[in-house]
Formats: sequence, structure tokens, C-alpha cells
Amino acid sequence: MKKIVVSSVTLFWLLGLAPGGAGAFQEEGTLRIGGMWALSGPAAYIGSSSKGLSALAVDEINEAGGVMVQGKRVKIVQSVYDDACKAEEGLTVVRRLADSDKVLFSLGPTCSSVAEPVFGILQKRLGDATDTGLQFLFFTDTAIKFGLAKISPWAFRNVGNEPAMFDLAFKLVKEKYPELKTVAVAYESDFAHSVSTWKGATEPAVKKYGYEVLDVVEWRFEDTEFGAQAAKLRKTNADILVMMTHTFTTCGAVKEFKRQRVKAKLMVGITSAASTETLVGCGQAVEGLIIPTNFAAISPKAKALADKAWAKYKADSNLHSVPAYENVHAIRGIVEKVGIKNEPATLLEDRRKVRDALAGLGTFQGVLGPIKMNGDDDPVKPRDVDKAIILVQAKGGQWTVFWQPPELEKK
Amino acid sequence: MAETLLDIIQQSINGLMYGAFYALIGIGFTLFFGVMKKFNLAYGPTIMAGIYLGLIPLYRWKAPMWVVFVTCVAGAVVVGFIVELACFRYLRKGHELAPLMTTVGMLILIQETVVIVTHAAPYEYPNIFGDESLEVGPFLIRPDYLAILISGLVFVVLLYLLVQRTAFGRAMRAIAENPAVAQLLGVSVSRMNRLTFALTSALGGATGYLVAMTFGALQPGIASWMTIKGLVVIVIGGLGSIPGAICAGLLLGVVEFQALWFLGVGYRDILAYLLLFAFLVLRPSGLMGRPAT
Repeated sequence: MKKIVVSSVTLFWLLGLAPGGAGAFQEEGTLRIGGMWALSGPAAYIGSSSKGLSALAVDEINEAGGVMVQGKRVKIVQSVYDDACKAEEGLTVVRRLADSDKVLFSLGPTCSSVAEPVFGILQKRLGDATDTGLQFLFFTDTAIKFGLAKISPWAFRNVGNEPAMFDLAFKLVKEKYPELKTVAVAYESDFAHSVSTWKGATEPAVKKYGYEVLDVVEWRFEDTEFGAQAAKLRKTNADILVMMTHTFTTCGAVKEFKRQRVKAKLMVGITSAASTETLVGCGQAVEGLIIPTNFAAISPKAKALADKAWAKYKADSNLHSVPAYENVHAIRGIVEKVGIKNEPATLLEDRRKVRDALAGLGTFQGVLGPIKMNGDDDPVKPRDVDKAIILVQAKGGQWTVFWQPPELEKK
Repeated sequence: MAETLLDIIQQSINGLMYGAFYALIGIGFTLFFGVMKKFNLAYGPTIMAGIYLGLIPLYRWKAPMWVVFVTCVAGAVVVGFIVELACFRYLRKGHELAPLMTTVGMLILIQETVVIVTHAAPYEYPNIFGDESLEVGPFLIRPDYLAILISGLVFVVLLYLLVQRTAFGRAMRAIAENPAVAQLLGVSVSRMNRLTFALTSALGGATGYLVAMTFGALQPGIASWMTIKGLVVIVIGGLGSIPGAICAGLLLGVVEFQALWFLGVGYRDILAYLLLFAFLVLRPSGLMGRPAT
């Protein structure tokens, strides 16, 4: 009998199912945080960069002595999991982070299609004992589909506001290229971010600025053949190609465009494609592509961060990964300010304190400038941020600044 | 009207060329079934493993593409032998469904191993035919697709000669006809099974190289894609029929491209599977298979 008990305990320990020990957290001098991203599959290049930038922030904080909690400096320990951009994996991982690893909060997820169900199991009504949803805090860096933070008061996001980003993009394109009148569109019909960006952000902007939509073609997130769609786009002879597609299919499609002599005067891409991966994977075929983003290495601080992240973790600094870095630093500040206890027994209380502080944070410092966190009572974008928008353009194998706000230009 | 006709022809050309992929994958599946009377669901992952192994000389030593091709073929043959050993050789007779389950297990095992090793990140596969299309009158022809169609024809002719004109082919046909009688006549069934694995795996490795090159990037999902397409092709073509697999592959390619052109991406798979169901209900023996007795 004793053997069975010992073996079971050992097995549970090996499987990582053992509950957090009583001596954990404050006593052992650690503050536990989590991260769940797509670290495998076609979206892995996005998740891996977020993981790298968050690790960099953790390193910086720990090297500076750690986080001050209850008068004692504790080191941040991060549990990281791969949700593979799959909802079912995400639902397993969030339980593990919340109940088994007992982290204070989590970064991620990468994909909106994972964030939607994961936020769905979080508590909807704060402080309501009858609402048995998970009381677990997310400070998301990547999942960008508009309105996701409305799902639960435990969900916060430091992500781009795509309707505003594409509104600005088409406004500026209209100003700079008034002769361009028509657009043709491609999007991934089975990928939440792609569909929502086209329908909720790009289409309204295109219509607002008076562009005529000549055709809209679809393909799938993992498709590799674009012959028929490219032929349709070629027939439209549109002035602007609007590519609401992610890097993997964008690269395949633009190569097919070249084969089929699809010649648009301008290409506008989805926010997630503003990455090094796109430049490397697509090469010359994306020359001239314009993308709205929230990050570009335009200041010495941003450039130093991008260089450091690449040197240390081979992580690309972009609009999805840099918020992971910013969020870790923001939470450190909140933890030191609100005075959590950092004990297993007070975990729910600590999470709630940090959540409330995040909701009332107002403005915090980002890499490029101030970021404003909207509170719970914001009627349009509760728990989402407002931050500077930049337009980048692929030129000579690099992202160059097509437009930046005057306040950033001064820096 | 004339423009619509040109569109139909252009998409039919694309479909036929792309269908050559399906035909080649289907031939591999049908050879297994013809000789062994068993499904090998690990055939897709065998091809995938071969083409991933082909990336090693490319990424490590910047090897030329012919070395990559040879490594793909050799890699697929090695993995094919492992599949034969693990999923077929030691299974007891009389359990026809057992290989189905062992190869499903092997499918998952190989696919997940590649996912773990590569993190399922897409790996760029250089296309030796470049990014320019050939203009033939009003039509655009992708040179890599054309190469696949031509390679497919060459493979089929070689296969025909091997099966019809050699002792190996005679033995293979004898086993396909009646394994017990073939064994009585001195044909080693187990040896022929191993050779069939080597042949189909080599064909798979060569096909996989062409597929990966035209895709431009490689990811593990290609294994499931090949398995599903291969099964659809052999059901439509008729189990065990090589000409059936060729016709079914080309037909599937044309149907998919026409559906994509006229109805959109959502209908591409729906129409392909409707075609499959239609054959299962109306002509279960497929285009050229033998009717069940």
C-alpha cells in the first residue's frame, strides 16, 4: 500500500500535477507569472517572439533585483505553455496556469480563436459568488480581434485597435495617392483574426474613404495553392491589393501574383504581417507593402530593445511581441504599488487586487511612448488600450516608416 | 462567354497539372492495397518524413537540389521500412483491421515527432523552377506544375514497365491475384511485401519532393493532406487500380479548381467529398476497380 502511495505521489510530481507547495511564492522568494502562446504550428513565429520579449522583461527585472513584495525582493518565475493556436489546447493550458502553477496572471494567447473560448471560461461578474467562472487575470499581448476584452472583466489587452489603425491607413493612402480608386481584397476565411479584421476594420475604412471594392477572394489559413484566387485578382486590375492574410499564405500568394503578373500599384497588409518573418519569407514579392502597426524601431530605446531581444532570444520585436515586454513591466509596477501578499492562500485576493489596479491604471509607459488603458466603464473598448499608430512599408528588405505621429517624430 | 470558356480551360489546365499530385499519391496507396490487400495510412507521414529528411543536407550544408531529391527518396524508403516492420511484418494473419490501426498509430507518431522536432514552423523549400509562368497563348502555365505532370507521366511509364515487363512485376501481379498460389509457385510473399514498400516509398519520396517544392514551404500538416487526398483518389479510382488512381487524381484536381474558381474556397472541399460520396453510393467499385463479388 505504501508503495502505491509513494508511486502515485512520484507519478503526480513527474506529471507536474503536484499542487503548489506551502513554501512557495513569497517564502521561496518568487513571484509566479504565466504565458501561453502559439509556440508550434503556422503561428509559432508570432508566439515565439512574444515569449522572447516577455523573457527579456523578466530578465531585466530579475537582474535589477526583482519585484518588491511585502518589503522583500522576489524574483519573477514564468511558466510558459504552447497552445498551438488551438482552442482545446488553450482551455487545458489556462486551467493549468490558474490551478496547478498558481500564477498571478498570464500573458497571451496569440490567436483570437484561442482567446475567445479561454476568456469565455473566466468569471463574468466580479465579486458574484454565484458566478463560478475562473478568477484568473489575463494581460494579453497578441490576440487582436476587436472587442475580445469585453468577454470578461478579467481580460485586459495591450493590443492594437485595428478599426482605428486601418481607418488611419486608408486616410493616409488616400491623401498620398489620390489617383488610386479601386481595391481587391484577400482574406483567410477560416481564421478569426483575418475575418474580423476584414469585416470589422478594413471594409468600413475602405468604404469610408470611397474606394470601390472590385472583388473579395478567400483562402484558408494553411492553404498552399492560390492559382485561382490570383487569377481573379489579376482580372480586377485593382489599384490596391488589400491582403488581410497572415505571413504563411501571404508569401505563397504574392509569389503566385508574380507568376500571374498581378500588378497592383499598392498593397496594404494585415497588422500581424508587420514582422521580420514576412520580409524573410516573401522577399522582394512584398516590396512596397504598407501595414499599420504599433511598433517600429524608430527611437533609440526601441532599436536597443529590438537588438537585445534578437541577440538574446532571436525574438522579433513587432506589434505583438513588444506588448509582452511592456505588460510584464507594467504588472511589476502594479504589484509593487498595490501590495499583494504573494502567498498561495491569498492568490485569488492578489489577482483581484492587481486586476482592479490594472482597470484603474490610466496611462502607463510603453516602449515608444505612453499607453492609455481604458477602464471597466469604457463604453466601446473596456480594458483595451489606446496607443500610437505607425505605418510601415517594406523597402529593400526592411520595414521603413511610411508615417508616424508628430509626437514620435520629435523623439 | 468566350472569357468564361477561357477561364474554364485555364482552371482545367491547372486542375490537371495539380491533379497529377493526387494521382501519384493515389498510385502509392493503390499499390499497397493491390499487393497486400491492406490500407497503409502511414503512407502520407512516410512521404512527409522523407521530405523533411531531405531538408537536412539543404539547411546544414547548402547541398544542391539533386542531393535533396535523393535524400527525400532514400529517407522515405528508410521510414517505409520502419513502417513495414512496425505495422505489418509481425502482425498475425487473420486480423485484417489490425494494420489499419497500427498505421493510424504510426501516422500520429511520425506527425507528432516532426511537430516536436520542428515546432511545426514552416520550412522554406526552394523551387528550382523559379517564380515565372510560361505564357501559352492566352493561358499561363506554371513550370513547376508542368514538371510534375511530366514527371508523373515518366513515373507511370516506368511503373508500367516494372509491373508488366519484369520478374518483379510478374511476382507482384501474382501476389495481387492470389498470394497463396503465388507462394506455392515459389514467390516469397514477405520479400515482395518489403520490395513493394521500398517501391511505393521511393515513389512517395519523389512525389513529396515535387509537392514541397511547389508549395514553397513545408509543414507537418502535409501528411494528413496527403493521406486524405490519397484515400479519396483510391476510392474514386477503384481500390487496387493504377489507371483508376491516375484518372481519379486528375478528375479530383479539375473538380477542385473549377469549384474554387466558380464557387469559392468553401465549396472546394465540399464538392470533392460530394464526389467521393457519389462514387461510394452509385459506383462503389470506383472508376476502374473490380466490382465486389
